[in-house]
Amino acid sequence: MNKDWQTLELCDRFFDAIEQKDYDTLESCYAPEAVIWHSHDGLYQPRADNLAMLKKGMEKQTKTRFKDRRVRAFEGGFVQQHTIYVTREDGFEGHMEVCFVGYVRDGMISRAYEYFDTGQIEKFIGPRPAKEASR
Amino acid sequence: MDEYEIRELCNDFFDAYQDGRVDVLRRLMADDCIIWHNVFGRETTRDENLEKYPDSYQGQRRRTYNDRIINTFDDGFVIQYTLNGVMKTGHKGALWICIVARCKDGKLTRIDEYMDTSKFAAWMGGPR
Repeated sequence: MNKDWQTLELCDRFFDAIEQKDYDTLESCYAPEAVIWHSHDGLYQPRADNLAMLKKGMEKQTKTRFKDRRVRAFEGGFVQQHTIYVTREDGFEGHMEVCFVGYVRDGMISRAYEYFDTGQIEKFIGPRPAKEASR
Repeated sequence: MDEYEIRELCNDFFDAYQDGRVDVLRRLMADDCIIWHNVFGRETTRDENLEKYPDSYQGQRRRTYNDRIINTFDDGFVIQYTLNGVMKTGHKGALWICIVARCKDGKLTRIDEYMDTSKFAAWMGGPR
């Protein structure tokens, strides 16, 4: 039970850190060997690349919120379902339904799987300029 | 339900889906089971879902639910899997899907499904 509590705390700390643009805390949530898999390309992204992507998002986006978080801990990890809301520089607020499965080692995320629908990407990034959309 | 019962329910459910056993699916889902898909962003009932089961097979010869990674928690499970399909054209495709389910008294009470619709055309063998 104690382990579940620690896992749930790690999950909250990770997503809270992204919301609060607390990069140091975010980085401390990932184990040195951490890899992050995404359903849109089926590839494992290395820790450094993922952190760089998240850091860029922290710098560029006005606000990021993970709402309607539903978290469950299992032996060795957790699953969180949420709706991510991102407010962009131009004021557009995008959203996307996400399922994040995190595997935990020594109190850190060592492997994560993120599932979302890029078929609805315009709801998240906003309408693309006509020139880009026609490519 | 203990971990083993939940795990067995999960496998029975996906085996039944694979084998087209709508009667078994109906038995494994609670009467008031809710199914939510990220693709549509809305909830459907068990009966609505099962009614559409034959439509979901259009153009496909066979579907198998492979590489199942199942993790259980107190009131349900999360399963990550590869949906392999063989189309009537002979094309073979794969989709990566994650489902989070809640269970009670030996039945599924809620199913939340996450998939990427941008991969559908390639899965069916159409233009990418």
